[in-house]
Amino acid sequence: MKIFDLARKDLLRLFKNPFNLVMMFGAPFLITGLLFFAFGGMTDGRDDFNLQRVKVQIVNLDQAQGGLALGSTLVEFLQEENLSDLLQVQEVASEDEAHESVQTGSWDVAVIIPKQFTSSALSTGSDVAITLLQDPTLTIGPGIVKDLLQQFIDVFAGAKITTDVVSQQFSARDESISDPALQQIAMEYTGNFPSGDHQHDDRSSSLLIRFPEGVEEPENNSMSMIAPIMASMMIFFVFFMGANTAQSIIREDEEGTLARLFTTPTLKSSILGGKFISVFITLVFQTAVILVASHYLFNIHWGQPSVVIFTAFGLVIAASGFGVLLMSLIENTRQVGPILGGVLTVTGMLGGLFTNGIPNIPEVFETINLTMPQGWALRAWKMTLAGSSMGDLMLPVGVLLLVGLAFLSLGVLVFRKRFS
Amino acid sequence: MDQNKKAIQVKDLYKSFDEVEAVKGVSFDIKKDEIFSLLGPNGAGKSTTISVISTLLEPTKGDAFVMGHSVIKEPMAVKKTIGVVPQEIALYPDLSARENLNFWGKMYGLRNTELKTRLDEVLEIIGLTDRQNDRVDTYSGGMKRRINIGIALLHKPEVIIMDEPTVGIDPQSRRNILDNVKALNREGMTVLYTTHYMEEAQEISDRIAIMDRGEIIASGTHDELVKLVGEQDRIDLILNTVSSQLSDLWRKIEGVHKISSHNGTVTLLVEDSNLLLPKLFEITNQVDIRITSVEIFEPNLETVFLHLTGRTLRN
Repeated sequence: MKIFDLARKDLLRLFKNPFNLVMMFGAPFLITGLLFFAFGGMTDGRDDFNLQRVKVQIVNLDQAQGGLALGSTLVEFLQEENLSDLLQVQEVASEDEAHESVQTGSWDVAVIIPKQFTSSALSTGSDVAITLLQDPTLTIGPGIVKDLLQQFIDVFAGAKITTDVVSQQFSARDESISDPALQQIAMEYTGNFPSGDHQHDDRSSSLLIRFPEGVEEPENNSMSMIAPIMASMMIFFVFFMGANTAQSIIREDEEGTLARLFTTPTLKSSILGGKFISVFITLVFQTAVILVASHYLFNIHWGQPSVVIFTAFGLVIAASGFGVLLMSLIENTRQVGPILGGVLTVTGMLGGLFTNGIPNIPEVFETINLTMPQGWALRAWKMTLAGSSMGDLMLPVGVLLLVGLAFLSLGVLVFRKRFS
Repeated sequence: MDQNKKAIQVKDLYKSFDEVEAVKGVSFDIKKDEIFSLLGPNGAGKSTTISVISTLLEPTKGDAFVMGHSVIKEPMAVKKTIGVVPQEIALYPDLSARENLNFWGKMYGLRNTELKTRLDEVLEIIGLTDRQNDRVDTYSGGMKRRINIGIALLHKPEVIIMDEPTVGIDPQSRRNILDNVKALNREGMTVLYTTHYMEEAQEISDRIAIMDRGEIIASGTHDELVKLVGEQDRIDLILNTVSSQLSDLWRKIEGVHKISSHNGTVTLLVEDSNLLLPKLFEITNQVDIRITSVEIFEPNLETVFLHLTGRTLRN
C-alpha cells in the first residue's frame, strides 16, 4: 500500500531529526522533571533524596533552674530523630572550640546557648540571645538551622510573656509569686513544644486531607501536583508535534518532492492520506511513550488503561486535526516557526496549559479554557487522573474527536484545493 | 508520421497563469526511441510545456498524448509510462541514496525482488553503489543530479522527460549525464530534453524545437535548423566600452543582419565575416572605441536563434 509507504518515509525522516525527538520527548520530560525536582522530589520523602546534612555544633552553657533546663530541651530538639536527615549535631564544651570549627569550615554552623537562657525565660525584664555562628559562604544550611531556632524561640518567647504577665498581675495586687510556681507555669506552657516522640504527621493536626470516593490516594502531595503538570506538557507538545509533523507537506512542496510525487502513478488522496497517517502514528507513539515513561519516572497513575487509551485517542485526533488545519493555512516553511510557536503558545495559554495547578484561578478562566481544544484535552486528562469512568469522559473526549475531525476535514479541503 | 511510432504528440497546447500566457499553441511530435530537445532561453515556456506533458499542470487548451494516452483524460496511464527528472533536485536530503530510490521505486509500483534488483541496477548506472548508504545532503551537486535522474529510471519508463538536468553542475558530471542520456536512448527510451545550452541540444538530439516566448519558432534536425540561417557567420566582439551609437553605425553596414549584446559581448550575424571585419574595425576607430576580442563562429543553433529572434539564447 503506497499510503503506508508514504507514511513510513515521513516517519523515517521524522525520527532521523534530533530536533523532533527533543520536542517529542525531551522537552515535556525536561520541563516536568524540573518542576518535579524543584517542588516535588524534595518533599516526597524518598530515601534517595540527597541534600547534604548541615553540620551543627552546639555549646550549651545554660544552667537549669528548679528542674527546668531550656538549653537541654533545645539540644534535644535539634538532635531529634526526624531532623537527622537535615542536621548532623554535635555537642561541644567550649565556645572557642565551636568558633574554631566554623572558622576552619569543618562545621557549618555553631549554636551557642548562653548561661542565663532558662533563667531569662523565667524572670521578667531580662533578655538573652542565642548566638548562631555560620560559615558565610553557606546559605541553605544556616537558613534551616535559623528557622528551627526561631521556631523554638517563638514557643519560649510565649512562655516568657506568660510568666511576665503572671508576675505583673501578682505585683498589681501587691502579691508575689514564687520562682518554682513561675517555672511550673512556664513548663506547662512549653508542654506543647515538639519533643523527641512528636510525629510530624498532617493527619494528627487540625488539617485532615480527604480524597473523592473511589479515587486512589496519591502517595504524596508532589505526585498530585506533578501529574497535571505532566498532562499539560504532554498536551502542549503533542499539539506541537501534530503541527510540526503536518509541516512536512509544505516542506515537500518547497523541496520539489511533492510535485515529483504527483508525476508518479500515485493518487493525490494517497499522498495526502500518507501524510495524515504519519501525523497520527507520530502522535500515538509520542503520547504512549510519555504516558508510560512518566508512570515509571514520576510514578504517575494515569488511571484505568481503557480510559487512558480513550482519552489519548481524543487527544491525538484533536492534535492531528489542529496541526493539519494550521499547516494548511501556512504559505511556506519560513512562516512555520513564528506561527507554530505563536499559535500554540496562545492557544495553550487560553487552554490553561500553563496555569494548570495554580491555586485561586478565577472561575471565568475555566470557561475560557474550554474555547480551545487544549482546554478540553486538559479537562479530559484531569478527569482521567481523578479516576473518572469512560462514561464521564464522553463529553470532553467527544468534543476532542469532533473538533479534531472538523479541523482535519477543513485542512484536507484547503490542501486539496492548494494542490489541485 | 505513423501514429504507432509516436511517443509524444502535443496538439495546439496553451497554458495560462492568470493574465500570463506561458505556452501559446505549441504543437510537436516525438518519435519512439528519439531524443527530442526543447531549446530556448529561460522563460521560453519549456518547463511549462513538459509540466503539462508530465501531468503536473492541466492545459488551458489543447492536449498532449504520451504513448497514445491523453494527459487530460488518462493522466494515470501517462504517469505509468513516463519518468520525470525535474529541474530542481527533488530528493529527501536526510535519507540515503538507497532509501530515496527505495521510496520512489515503491511510488512507481515496484516491490520486493524487482525493486531490489532495480535499485542495484540504477545505483550502478548512476555510479553511486559505493556511497548508496550515505545521506544525500552529504553529496556533491553532481551526485545529487545523478540520483535525481536515477529515480526516473527505476521503473524502466518508455519515455523519460528531463527538464534542464545539467543546470549548475561541474563539467565532469554534465559529461556523465549526457553520456547516460545517450545510453538510455540506445536502450530504447524516448527522451524529451529541455535545455538552454545550445551545445547540449546539438550533441544529444535527433531533433530540436526552438522555443521562445511560449511558441515554437523552429524545429527539425540540427542541420535543418542551421540551413535556416543560410551562409551567415556569427561574430562575437568584446569592446572596451558599450555604445549604442556604435551599434547603430554597424547596423548601417551592408551585410550586417542582426546585432545583440549580452554581458559586454556584442554578437553580430553577418553575411561574410572576412569582408566585414575591416569595416567594423574602421567604424569602431572612428568613434574612439577599442575592440579587445574577436571570435568568428560557423553557423550553429545560437546563430539560428539570433537569426530568428534578434536575441542570443543567453539573453
